[in-house]
Amino acid sequence: MQHLLKWGMLILFALALVALSVYLSNPSGTTSRQTGIKLSDVLGDINIEGYTRAFEPREFSFPADHGLHPGYKHEWWYFTGNLATPQGRHFGFQLTFFRIALAPHSKARDSAWATNQIYMAHFTLTDVENKKFYNVERFSRAGLGLADATAQPFKVWLEDWSAAGQGAQTFPLHLRAANNDIAIDLHLDALKPVVLQGDKGLSQKSGEPGNASYYYSLTRLGTTGTVRVGEKTFPVSGLSWMDREWSTSALSKEQAGWDWFSLQLSDGRDVMFYRLRRKDGQPDPHSAGALVAPDGTKKSLSLQGVQIASAGEWRSPHSGIRYPVRWRLRIPSEKLDLQITPYLADQELNVSVRYWEGAVRIEGTTDGKPIKGDGYVEMTGYN
Amino acid sequence: MLRRASLRYLLRHPWQFGLSILGVALGVAVVVAIDLANASAQRAFTLSAESLSGPSTHQISAAGGLPESVYQALRLQLAARTSTPIIEGRAAAINLQGRSFQILGIDPLANPGAYPYLAQAQDRRAEGDTDFAAFFTRPNTGLLLQATAERLGLRAGDAMAVRIEGKLHTITIVGLLQPRDELSRQGLDNVIVTDIATAQELLNMAGRLSRIDLVIPVDQAGAALLERIKAVLPAGAQVLSANTRAQALEQMTQAFRLNLTALSLLALLIGMFLIYNSMTFSVIQRHSLIGMLRAIGVTRREIARLILSEALVVALIGTGIGIVLGILLGQSLLHLVARTINDLYFTVTVRELILSPYSLTKGMLLGIGATLVAALWPVREAVTVVPHNLLSRSAGEQRFTRRIPRAALSGAALIMLSAALLLIPTNNLLLSFAALFGIMAGFALLVPAVVWVLIHLLQRLSGNTLGWLGKMSSRAITASLSRNGVAIAALAIAISATVGVGIMIESLRNTVVQWLEQSLRADIYVSPADTEGVQQPTLDPALVGRMASLSDVKMMSIGSRTTIDTPQGSTALFAVQVPYQGFQGFQLKEGETQTAWRLFAQQAAVIISEPYAYHHNLHVGDTLTLPTARGPHTFPIAGVFYDYGSSQGIVIVQRSTYQQFWDDEKIGSLGIYLQPGSDINKVIDQLHQLAGSEPLQIRSNRMLREASITIFDRTFAITQVLRALTIFIAFVGILGSLMALQLERAKELAVLRAIGLTPRQLWGLVGAETGLMGLIAGVLALPLGLALALILILVVNRRSFGWTMQITIDPAMLINAIAFALIAALLAGIYPSFKMARTSPALALREE
Repeated sequence: MQHLLKWGMLILFALALVALSVYLSNPSGTTSRQTGIKLSDVLGDINIEGYTRAFEPREFSFPADHGLHPGYKHEWWYFTGNLATPQGRHFGFQLTFFRIALAPHSKARDSAWATNQIYMAHFTLTDVENKKFYNVERFSRAGLGLADATAQPFKVWLEDWSAAGQGAQTFPLHLRAANNDIAIDLHLDALKPVVLQGDKGLSQKSGEPGNASYYYSLTRLGTTGTVRVGEKTFPVSGLSWMDREWSTSALSKEQAGWDWFSLQLSDGRDVMFYRLRRKDGQPDPHSAGALVAPDGTKKSLSLQGVQIASAGEWRSPHSGIRYPVRWRLRIPSEKLDLQITPYLADQELNVSVRYWEGAVRIEGTTDGKPIKGDGYVEMTGYN
Repeated sequence: MLRRASLRYLLRHPWQFGLSILGVALGVAVVVAIDLANASAQRAFTLSAESLSGPSTHQISAAGGLPESVYQALRLQLAARTSTPIIEGRAAAINLQGRSFQILGIDPLANPGAYPYLAQAQDRRAEGDTDFAAFFTRPNTGLLLQATAERLGLRAGDAMAVRIEGKLHTITIVGLLQPRDELSRQGLDNVIVTDIATAQELLNMAGRLSRIDLVIPVDQAGAALLERIKAVLPAGAQVLSANTRAQALEQMTQAFRLNLTALSLLALLIGMFLIYNSMTFSVIQRHSLIGMLRAIGVTRREIARLILSEALVVALIGTGIGIVLGILLGQSLLHLVARTINDLYFTVTVRELILSPYSLTKGMLLGIGATLVAALWPVREAVTVVPHNLLSRSAGEQRFTRRIPRAALSGAALIMLSAALLLIPTNNLLLSFAALFGIMAGFALLVPAVVWVLIHLLQRLSGNTLGWLGKMSSRAITASLSRNGVAIAALAIAISATVGVGIMIESLRNTVVQWLEQSLRADIYVSPADTEGVQQPTLDPALVGRMASLSDVKMMSIGSRTTIDTPQGSTALFAVQVPYQGFQGFQLKEGETQTAWRLFAQQAAVIISEPYAYHHNLHVGDTLTLPTARGPHTFPIAGVFYDYGSSQGIVIVQRSTYQQFWDDEKIGSLGIYLQPGSDINKVIDQLHQLAGSEPLQIRSNRMLREASITIFDRTFAITQVLRALTIFIAFVGILGSLMALQLERAKELAVLRAIGLTPRQLWGLVGAETGLMGLIAGVLALPLGLALALILILVVNRRSFGWTMQITIDPAMLINAIAFALIAALLAGIYPSFKMARTSPALALREE
């Protein structure tokens, strides 16, 4: 569960995004703009009355829970992965579907376009060899089959971008997305079972009851397929990661952003950790994570158990925002000491709300022995 | 010295100077006014079209609406991301003076760049920020332009009651739009922007779209995408380039606008004659001065420059005044022009006159150019003056008289050439107008000769019966034919223009009146309330059923009107279910009624209106291919009928045929035929009772006919106004030029007074002279007026609108024209007579 701040972002979107898009994306329609709306303004206005909230652990049931939870305000399906051609050319990708409810209940109406749900999707591709990062954002309403999610057969889509199971089986998943210059067509198979994050899937965001999400991950998905860049299509294989989360409540006022790590190590272990940053610069005690053993067993990680330090900054030429770029992450209880380096410094998404999310390379030691791996890091709330 | 001489002359002859300026000013004013009004109306249309369709390059549409599955296919299969679904419709406010609104249903997430006109209601000082969640999720919500809302006294959160397709709805305004620019402000005025789902529900269009706008790049990939899009379109749907659409709409009004421009140029032409008249006069009057100047060594070039610079002064002052007048006049003409466009073509909301620099510059150049052209001949006249200070005016007159035959010959040649131009089989309107103006100019050249002949004939025939007064006045005219001939020509041209336009309008009106009598066959007509701007309202079928079961109702005709986009532009299609009795109301120009009826009723043939046949060059026996819901279908044409309801023309199809091809059950209007002996008013009352609160227009045959004629008069009000303006200019011209002529004769009249002419006789003499000139002008104007009317009716109108008219010539109009010329001429004599009668002859005779 990365994405605490994303709650805030999504709440922001919920109100602002229509405003935003209506507010005239410039004719080319892609570049992001200052919305003129402050996050705090919107958060103050938020009315979450009528939405379901996450107060206590619940019974997860699959494949049903891969599908929609429309009573909650936000929900997302998050795919990231590191891939390589047989020759070793490296690519990173992200394909994310966000669902946002604009009203807690839908009414029966005559028009097939009528809906209380809208979707947003982000698609990125990191071409390490050409040092190029592609990122695209799309919106759609849920109506008319333009965007939606179903559990059985599993499918989440926004127009022609989709993640779909085959037949009754959720896995292997088929991911497809294309935009002018880039495309992916990937098959993802679960190498480990579902991991319920937090307390049996209840991921508490702050002290206030109900300020929580339901959160599960598939931390290791064997991936094969193709990546297209420009006119060229490459056969690729590698590992992907899937995150699922749904919630209603807002971000706490003291939280400024987070750094989220999803690491897939060469010894078969996977690490997820998010460090919440407070506005006063201190890490928030609700920061948390999990270490998933090769057999899928999970160990929870807390702020005390993980040491994170960054070395160096990268200043985005697009936004002027400074992001940390190299990390040292240590988990003493697991004897892990990892150096995390972005494959490319510039993996900033220039979308409605900017954030950095990119493929990273891992080198380090475990118990003194060398270890390596790939992963994704997400950084939000930097200025 | 030259300049001072010129200035002193101009100041000493304010009448002439003033008349020239007036001529230029009035002519320029009318041209500028019409041009501004035309340009403003057109701009208003382009703006609303552009601002609402955005930067789209193509549009997909289908008769009766496009299935929304087309949009799904574009997005889900073809990834055509630059597609924008649009739903359009009309709503009429219940309060707010029944104001009409456009409903524009959009999906703001579909293609945000496609809505450059939408702006967030971002100003936090404005009351109530836009509630976009409500816009999306709550039915019956919409956004208004802030300016529109303010004008209507509405605020965010308010509800407005509207009627759409005969049903009442309440729309809550959940936000106000701030226009980003002028384009948006104009385009969004009186538009209710709603979510696409809301629009579908309000307009009863669930499952359908009005159109899909596309932005397709002009390259190979774009062409390929277009092909793939065409491949997924269902039968009946089509892709049209946005250009084609806009062009078709523009072409529609082109003929109308060109006609107005020609009429305004007529006003300028009359103005030119006035200038020509007074400039020539001023040269002739200064013959001796010019001769003197030449004698003391002033060159021809300097003389020419002198006269031209005088003309230029007149041109500048006149044009300046004309442009100011034109702007003022344009304000009032604008709504007339807009109304005609609304009645004849399509709805366009024109709010203000746009002072296009292009129109103003054009008016300025035309004014100055026309003045200088009109001054050319007088200049030529001036430079031929021999350097001799004793050159008499009679010598000048002699020279002029010698030139009369040559002018007459060239006039006749010009008329023949122009007539030949008219015979060229073409639809070119410019050519027609060129011929029209050529004939007028040729006629003007002929006038002096005709006047000379007329007067001599008059003298010969009458002998002594005319008395001294008749002789003197008629001789006075021929004696100074150089100026009088020109004046008479100018007057005749002015009058003939009013006669020509008058006959044309009258003929069209009579034709329409007769046509209405013939074609309106039913006893009672029922249609949804005529809320302004609502183009295709419908009737409730259940209500129609109840109406049909009234005991007095013998049978009904059912009609519905729709517009089909074809690659050649849009075609108005009228589907009728009509008894044979009603079908006979269509007066066929081509085809035979019984045969046509059989084909129409049994073999899915169509009948087309005369303008439609004309514009598309179709005849009975040809076929017409229209896009239908089942794909393009070819219909045989069973008849061509007279119709004056639309200048673009209309296609009529049997209702069952229409339903078979277009799946549309809507009912637009009813014609009710009563049992013999029924009381029409009683049935109308019954129908009103049945309708209850439903706002219907229930009109008897007579009421509908009268209403139609009212609309006709409204449509042609602009032409009437232009005609009135032309008459006014002609009147001022006659008055001014004849008055100037008489005033300049002061010395001659003083001599007569000195040798014993009494003031009363002087009144008589002046009156007889101006009256005779007015009479001659009036009489000469008649044949030219008739010729103009024929050209307007048979050539110009036919080429512009495709209408056949029966020519109606009202003798009263002709008599009026002569009387009008006579009265203006007599009035022109009053002031000079008054002045001369009061002045002592000695004073008047004193040398300058």
